[in-house]
Amino acid sequence: MADTAARRRPSGRSGSASGRAKKKNSSGGFSKYLAMGSFDVPFLLLVIIILTTGLVMLFSASYTYAYYNEHGDSAYFFKRQLAFAVAGVVFMLLISKIKYEYFKLLAYFAVPVSLVLLVVVLIMPARFGDFHRWIYIGSFSFQPSEIAKLAIIMYCAYGLEKDHNLLIGKTVGRTKISKLIMDYSNGRIAINDSFVKLCWYGAVILVTAVLVYAENHLSGAILICGIGVTMLFLGEVKKHWFALIVIVGVIMVIFFVMNPELLEKYAGSRITAWLNKDYEPLGARWQTNNSLYAIGSGGLFGAGLGNSKQKHLYVSEPQNDFIFSIVCEELGLIGASIILIVFALLVWRGIVIGIHAKDRFGALLSMGIVFQVGMQTILNILVVTDTIPNTGISLPFFSYGGTSLMMLLAEMGIVLSVSRYSRLTKK
Amino acid sequence: MNSRSLKQLSVRATVALWIIFLAFAVCIGSLVRVAIIDGEEYKLKAEKNQLLDTKVSAGRGTIYDANMNVIAKSASAWLVYIVPSKIESDEQRKQIVSMLSETLKIDEETLTQKANRDSNYVKIAGEVEEEQKNKIQDYIKQETKKNKKSKINEIIGIDPDTKRYYPYSNFASTIIGFVNSDDEGTAGIEKKYNSELTGISGRIIAAKNARQSKMASEYETMFAAQEGSNLVLTINEVVQYYLEQSLNQAITDTGAKYAYGIVMDVDTGAILGMTSKPDFDLNSPNTVFSESVLEDLEKIENEEEKKKEKQNALFAQWRNRTISDTYEPGSVFKTVVVSAALEEGVVDLNTKYTCTGSIRVADRTQNCWKLGGHGTETLTEGLMNSCNPFFITIGQRLGKEKFYKYFEAFGFTEKTNIDLPAESVPVPDVTYHSLEKMGISELSSSSFGQTFQVSPIQMITAVSAIANGGKLMQPYIVDSILDTDGNVVKKTNPVVKRQVISEKTASTVAGMMEKVVSIGTGKNAYVAGYHVAGKTGTSEKLNHKGFYIASFAGFAPADNPEIAILIAIDEPEGAHGGGVVAAPIAGEILEKVLTYLNVEPQYEDSEMKNISSTTPQLVGKTVEQAKQIASNYKIKVIGGGKEVVSQTPAASSQIRTGGVIVLYTDETAAKQTVEVPDFNGMTMSQANSAANREGLNVRFSGTTNSSGVNAYKQSVEAGNKVEIGSVITVYFKTSVNVEDN
Repeated sequence: MADTAARRRPSGRSGSASGRAKKKNSSGGFSKYLAMGSFDVPFLLLVIIILTTGLVMLFSASYTYAYYNEHGDSAYFFKRQLAFAVAGVVFMLLISKIKYEYFKLLAYFAVPVSLVLLVVVLIMPARFGDFHRWIYIGSFSFQPSEIAKLAIIMYCAYGLEKDHNLLIGKTVGRTKISKLIMDYSNGRIAINDSFVKLCWYGAVILVTAVLVYAENHLSGAILICGIGVTMLFLGEVKKHWFALIVIVGVIMVIFFVMNPELLEKYAGSRITAWLNKDYEPLGARWQTNNSLYAIGSGGLFGAGLGNSKQKHLYVSEPQNDFIFSIVCEELGLIGASIILIVFALLVWRGIVIGIHAKDRFGALLSMGIVFQVGMQTILNILVVTDTIPNTGISLPFFSYGGTSLMMLLAEMGIVLSVSRYSRLTKK
Repeated sequence: MNSRSLKQLSVRATVALWIIFLAFAVCIGSLVRVAIIDGEEYKLKAEKNQLLDTKVSAGRGTIYDANMNVIAKSASAWLVYIVPSKIESDEQRKQIVSMLSETLKIDEETLTQKANRDSNYVKIAGEVEEEQKNKIQDYIKQETKKNKKSKINEIIGIDPDTKRYYPYSNFASTIIGFVNSDDEGTAGIEKKYNSELTGISGRIIAAKNARQSKMASEYETMFAAQEGSNLVLTINEVVQYYLEQSLNQAITDTGAKYAYGIVMDVDTGAILGMTSKPDFDLNSPNTVFSESVLEDLEKIENEEEKKKEKQNALFAQWRNRTISDTYEPGSVFKTVVVSAALEEGVVDLNTKYTCTGSIRVADRTQNCWKLGGHGTETLTEGLMNSCNPFFITIGQRLGKEKFYKYFEAFGFTEKTNIDLPAESVPVPDVTYHSLEKMGISELSSSSFGQTFQVSPIQMITAVSAIANGGKLMQPYIVDSILDTDGNVVKKTNPVVKRQVISEKTASTVAGMMEKVVSIGTGKNAYVAGYHVAGKTGTSEKLNHKGFYIASFAGFAPADNPEIAILIAIDEPEGAHGGGVVAAPIAGEILEKVLTYLNVEPQYEDSEMKNISSTTPQLVGKTVEQAKQIASNYKIKVIGGGKEVVSQTPAASSQIRTGGVIVLYTDETAAKQTVEVPDFNGMTMSQANSAANREGLNVRFSGTTNSSGVNAYKQSVEAGNKVEIGSVITVYFKTSVNVEDN
């Protein structure tokens, strides 16, 4: 049935979007925009499980901090996050109803818009220290880097499908640049179209990453690079090019870890603090140390939900990047591992959806999104356990942040939309 | 799209998925490392951070005298500190320094130095009184009001502290001791009983958040502080006061370097009074009180040396010489020798000896202190005369084994184990002659109390053994330990160390010693009605040629002894004989103390004439009746009334028969006063007539039934005005036949 729905080509005029139309198959004129068929229930279940756990843990982790910082309102963060979660779930379901092909239209504009926003945020005044990460509109704020991540995924999914043959082929001169160079050099310089395309996408990713880094957001930049590299890998960039990318990446990481002073001051000091465990115990390492103390206090079984002591202002802002340390303290290694396994299952399910997707665009979209969630989760855990430097990276679905949660759920909606056309149920 | 074209993609996706799974595994591995492998370490660190461990200090116990007067008490006070690293400007620093200097009376220079230290905690002063603390708090409030951003409340800190108060200042200072800034006893009873007095400080253990405030009450555990125990001393405030008063006077009168004295309950070994003068004010132990020492200190220019010398001066000032110092007991020790000789039967009361003024010992001649000798004397006379050749003979008859046996038995080779710190330890062949090294000359000189040293507390314990029928007691100073509610936790039971001599010997020696006081060298210690027994001693200091210690040790009443006393005057100027210098002081104290202790005086007939009869009640009688009733007295009537409305001295006063009674018959009549004459140097009859001339009564104290008796002291100083009829006590002593050596 998913197939039959998928075969329907979009046609006719668009109408005003309404979720109500969901039950009536192809009755309205706008139904051509709607995805038919059922979405992947296991994936939705995984999302809901993670979201609910995240909300509960957010409340537990944040109430002391909220009490002291939000005028005695212990539920301050929880209430807001809950509101965004509810809105986000609705938003997710709405998006899952949209035929994902229409996101190709978004893919055109996504990168230019996100680049503009990334430049704008640099001009806007910073509210926290020297961190130009947020754009404020009224009482709302969002991070352009969040948009940039999705923009890269969408653009790569779209482009890598479109240019698939060029990328895997051995043709020369079929891309404009390659043709131009051939013409001017009278055919003496022949550049593979495959290489030209690789350079193009690589450039888009790198420019975005550099702009994110300019926000003083090293982890965001790393994540963008990671997503980009993953997209290129899935987009079947030739293995030797890919090997080169990985080698360059590894060399750069080693270089900056060995020379942290070359990075901007904040990122550099975080790396120094990671290398030297006694560095500024009350400053750069305060958060990390208290995170370790929290995880250590939790042991195997944890102190029990709500019983963390480290959340009492020791782990600073326990509702944000370091929420997982409180999870570990309260639920123990076992609870924390189960949560990680659920995250892994989410990634696995997203990949499965992608593998069985109707087309390359859908496959890349779904995979890119779940890989992004997976990578962000992994980086967060590695930071919390002091395995890598504390670069400031949030835990999806757990960390506090309304717009970021909305974005995530929207992305989940996209995956669900893809899943409506994938042939999972046929299996 | 068909599935074939996505095949390559699914291969790559699977690879990527496995990489992600691997990364998740690394994450879980990291968690295992942090939560399990290093978990305990992190957990401990977390707990250390989270615990708010507050010490609740226990109040230090109170020290009472035997009458439950408070001698030492702790009260809460405050400790002021600063955090110089938080001082924001030089101007602020100046302000803080001048404020603290003014409030706490500390000089600015010291404070500026402290305020300039780059530190997070500098203690400014402990034991700060409530009033001063309030002033500092007011200042902090003001500054915060003036400037909301001011961190002044983080710069100046105030913590609870305790302060030890000694209401009687100098009273018994060398025995009580004092505490240091950490509230730990550093001398005297405060040191010896530090653990009992200190108690156990309590703790509040609570979970705290990172802002140092408590997390939630459910995490709180409290261990209550156990207050320190209270001590009740055997020291009796009144006895101690008499002792200290007399010895202070003695220092003034004799110019002695030190004077020390002990009053002991002979039956139990309880110390009723103990002092070592000059002493110090317990409330400021670190001040040197001796003016001469201060002068000497001022002369020292080298700061380092000055500091050292000051410390030495303080140690000297704190020293309880009655237990920490040793001296040559001199003739006082003859009481021990005679006890041993009688107990062993080598002499008896009929033993006679003829003193020629010298005796040959080994290859040397030992002279008696009396040129020409005492002639033939009985044992009792020998003791009365304090005849050295006689005692050398006794010692030789006893032999060194038996001598040493008693020397040991009387406790001279061991500490008395009194419950005070720093008791001197006898060292064989240093402070005394060991049996092995004792030759004939050592035995001979030891027999009259020379060439060895004992501590005053050892000496009085030995004398007490003679007094109480031969039992050597362990002296003690803490009678009982009370808990905070006043219940007795521990009561000291008197410890009899051993029976040294038989009761019979003891009472024989006591009788001989009474003679020493009534007609021998100790007559200046005589107290009418109280049958004082004692022995004087004068010894040249071994380590300070030409300087002497004059001492007297004795007890009273001789037939049923209650208290023993030892008085030692160290390096008196001028007269240095124990009979002249120490005995009268002992007599004075004994009289006052025995009266205070309600020991009933038993007068001999010969004494009766000098004292007194009890004045009759004359108020309410007519003048005629009164004159009839009081026919034995001189009556003086003031006023024109017929009936007596008041009388001086009041009824039941003790005055000499034939003394003056003044009767007032008019209620409005002003009491007549008269100037007290100077009795100094008068004989008894001279004093009596001088008093009567002025319409005053005299009461004689001290030795009155021997020759050469002169007044040396009076209860009201000459020139003062008193009501006529008042009773003035005049103290007498003699300078005849009280020398010894």
